[in-house]
Amino acid sequence: MRAQLVASAQALFATAPDWPTLVEAGFVQLLVPEADGGFGGDWGDAFAVLQVAGATALAQPLGEAMLAAHLLARAGVVAPAGLVSIGNGGGALSGERFTGWVAAVPFGREAAAVLATVDTGGDDQVLMLLPAGAVTAGSSPAGEPRDRIDYAGVTAVVLGDADATLYGAYLRVAQASGALGAALDLAVAHVNARVQFGKPLAKLQAVQQALAVLASEAAAVTMAGAAAAAALDAGGGAFEMMAAKLRTNMAIHKGVAIAHQVHGAIGFTQDYPLHPLTRRLMGWRSEFGGDKWAELLGVVALHEGGAGVWSEITRWGDG
Amino acid sequence: MPEPGGARHSNGVSAVFALPPYQPDADTAAVRAAVRAFLVANPPPADAVRRANCWSVADAQFSRALGAAGFIGMVWPQRYGGHDRPAMHRYVVLEELLAAGASVGAHWIADRQTGPLLLRYGSEAQRRKYLPGMAAGTLFACIGLSEPGAGSDLAAVRSRAEKVPGGWRINGQKLWTSGAHHAHAMLALLRSEAGSERQVGLSQFLIDLDTPGVTVRPVIDLVGNHDFNEVFFDDVLVGDDALVGVEGEGWRQVTAELALERSGPERYLSSQALLAAVIDAARGAGVDNPALNAVIGKLVAELWTLRQMSLATAAKLAEGGDPSVEAAIVKDLGNDYEQRVPLMVQAVLDIDLDGSSEVARVLAHLLQVSPSFSLRGGTREVLRGIIARGLGLR
Repeated sequence: MRAQLVASAQALFATAPDWPTLVEAGFVQLLVPEADGGFGGDWGDAFAVLQVAGATALAQPLGEAMLAAHLLARAGVVAPAGLVSIGNGGGALSGERFTGWVAAVPFGREAAAVLATVDTGGDDQVLMLLPAGAVTAGSSPAGEPRDRIDYAGVTAVVLGDADATLYGAYLRVAQASGALGAALDLAVAHVNARVQFGKPLAKLQAVQQALAVLASEAAAVTMAGAAAAAALDAGGGAFEMMAAKLRTNMAIHKGVAIAHQVHGAIGFTQDYPLHPLTRRLMGWRSEFGGDKWAELLGVVALHEGGAGVWSEITRWGDG
Repeated sequence: MPEPGGARHSNGVSAVFALPPYQPDADTAAVRAAVRAFLVANPPPADAVRRANCWSVADAQFSRALGAAGFIGMVWPQRYGGHDRPAMHRYVVLEELLAAGASVGAHWIADRQTGPLLLRYGSEAQRRKYLPGMAAGTLFACIGLSEPGAGSDLAAVRSRAEKVPGGWRINGQKLWTSGAHHAHAMLALLRSEAGSERQVGLSQFLIDLDTPGVTVRPVIDLVGNHDFNEVFFDDVLVGDDALVGVEGEGWRQVTAELALERSGPERYLSSQALLAAVIDAARGAGVDNPALNAVIGKLVAELWTLRQMSLATAAKLAEGGDPSVEAAIVKDLGNDYEQRVPLMVQAVLDIDLDGSSEVARVLAHLLQVSPSFSLRGGTREVLRGIIARGLGLR
C-alpha cells in the first residue's frame, strides 16, 4: 500500500498541483483514522509521502495540513473547512478568548484556520485552533508564504499541551530527506554528463569523495526520519523528532554546499532545478525550532546522567 | 530487502542506504539486562581513559569471564562452543560492552572476524581447533593484513607462502598488527603463488604464533601504548591444515572479512566515555551552561542517528544481505562523529588539559588518539571510494 501511495504522490506532485487538487487527491487526510473519514495511514506513510513532496519541491503546505488534520482528529475536534496550517506564537488566553500572534505561518494568508502552539506566559505551551486573523505577509527564503497573523479577542479552541512545533520540525525532516536525495540525484547526473579536463567530472576522485559525503548525509536524514516515524507509530517519538531535526540541520549544512559545489555555476541559475531544493532546505533549518532542540536534548541528557543517556537511547530503540 | 539496482527507497534514485529501521525482537530487553548485570559483576576500568576507545584495551581476565558468561561467539553453533544466538542479540551485547567502556580488546578480533571467517571458509578441523577456545575467551587472534608496502593498497601484499611437502614455508613481515603480542594465532593474507600480482594468487593462513620462526616486536604508539606490532616470519613451517578456505581465493575471502568489521557499534562509540564523563561533570556542577547543553544535545542526536544506521546495517547483514556500501557509510559517519566528540567538547569547555580531572584526562587522551579512528579498518578515503562506487561514479 505504501508503494502505491508513493507512486501516486510522485505522479501527482511532479505536476506542481494546486491546493484543491491535492485536497481532492486525499493526501491531507493521510493521518486521519478511517473511522473519522480519513485514509488511516501511519507515520511511515506520512514520511514517505512528504519525502516525495520534498524531492519535488512541492510548493504547498501539505505536511502542515496533514499534521493539523491528524492533531485535530486525535483531539476529537472537527476540522474546519479549508486549509488549516500550523505555527507557533505568543499571547494571552482569557477563557476562550485569545489575543496575540502566530509567526511565520506557512501559507497563513490562505489558511482558514491555524493550529498553533502558543506561549501564554510562564512557560505554558498551549495548542489551540485559531481562526483566520490579520495577516502580515512574509516569505521563506524559497519564496513560500510565511505569514504573521495577529489576533484580538478571537475564540480559540484549546486542544491541550501537544507540541505542534515539534511535529512541524519533523515535517521538515521528511521533506529534507526527499530534497537532499533529489539534490544528490541531480548532482550525480550532472557529474556523469559534464565533461571537463577531457573526462566526466564523475571520474575525478575529489568529486567522487564529495558526493560520497552528500550521499552519506542524505542517508543519515532518511534513517533519522524513518526511525522517528517508527517511534511515532509505536506511541513515542518526542526524543526522536528532536534528534532527527538536529541531525537534518547538520546534513543540510554539509549537503547543500556539496550539491552546489559539484554543479559549479549552472546550479546557480534560475532555470536549473537545484535551487528549488536547496533554497527550501536552507530555510527548513530554521523552521519549527532550528537548533533550539539541541539545548532541550542537552537538558534531557543532563537529567539522565552519562550512563542514563545511553539507557534512554537504547530503551527508546527497544520499543 | 532492496537489491542493488532494484527498487530504491523514495529518497532519490541515487539513495545508497535504503534500509528500514531495525525493529528489535521481544527478547532484546532481556539480553540487554543480562549483559548489564554481567557488567555490574565485572565492572569496566575505574579510569575513564581506559574506558575510552575500549576495544583497543585488552584484559584477558575480563575476556575469560565474558566467555564463561556466554557473551563471546554468541552466534556460532553450539558444537563449536558457540551459543546459537541471533546476530542482533550479539549486537546488543557489543553495544552495551562498548558504551560501558569494557576492556574487550583481547578477544575482539577473534569474536568479530576470525571466528566468523572460520565458520564461513575454515575446515572442520580448524573450527574444532580454534572456535571453542575463542568462544571461551581464552584463545585470541590477530589479523595479518598490512605490511610495510601494503596499507590501504592491500593488494600489494608481498609476504609469501611457498608450497613444501606436507605444508607451507612462510617468509615476510606484517606491520600494524593490533594485539599480536597477546594473540595466539594470526589470520594472515599471504602470496601463495610465486610471481603473482595484485589480487591474484593470495591465500589466507591461520598461523599459531608460537610456531618457530615467528617474531613479534612492539610498535609503540604516540601516547606510549603498545597495541601495534610488527610480526616477522623467517622460514616458518606450517602444515597444509593452516590454509584457510581455497588456495588463491584470499582476496575474495578477506574482502568479505573486512565487511564484517565496518559497521558495528565500535565505529561510533570510541568517544562514549568522554561524552558520559562530560554529562556527569556538567550535571554535578549544577551550573546551567546553555552552550554546553547544546553541544551535548547535538552529539546525542548524532549518536542516536548513527545507532539507527548501524542497527539497520547489522540487520541486513544478519538477513544474509551484502551491506558493504551501507557499512562504509556507517563507518565514515561514525568515525567523523567519534572524532568530533573531543573537539566539540574542547571547544565549549573552558578546561585545562592538565590531567587534574577525569574529563581533562579522557579529553586529552581522545584528542591524541582520535585521529586514528578514521584510518583504522579502512581509511576515510577508501570508504568514500566504496560509497562512490555504490553511486555508480566508479
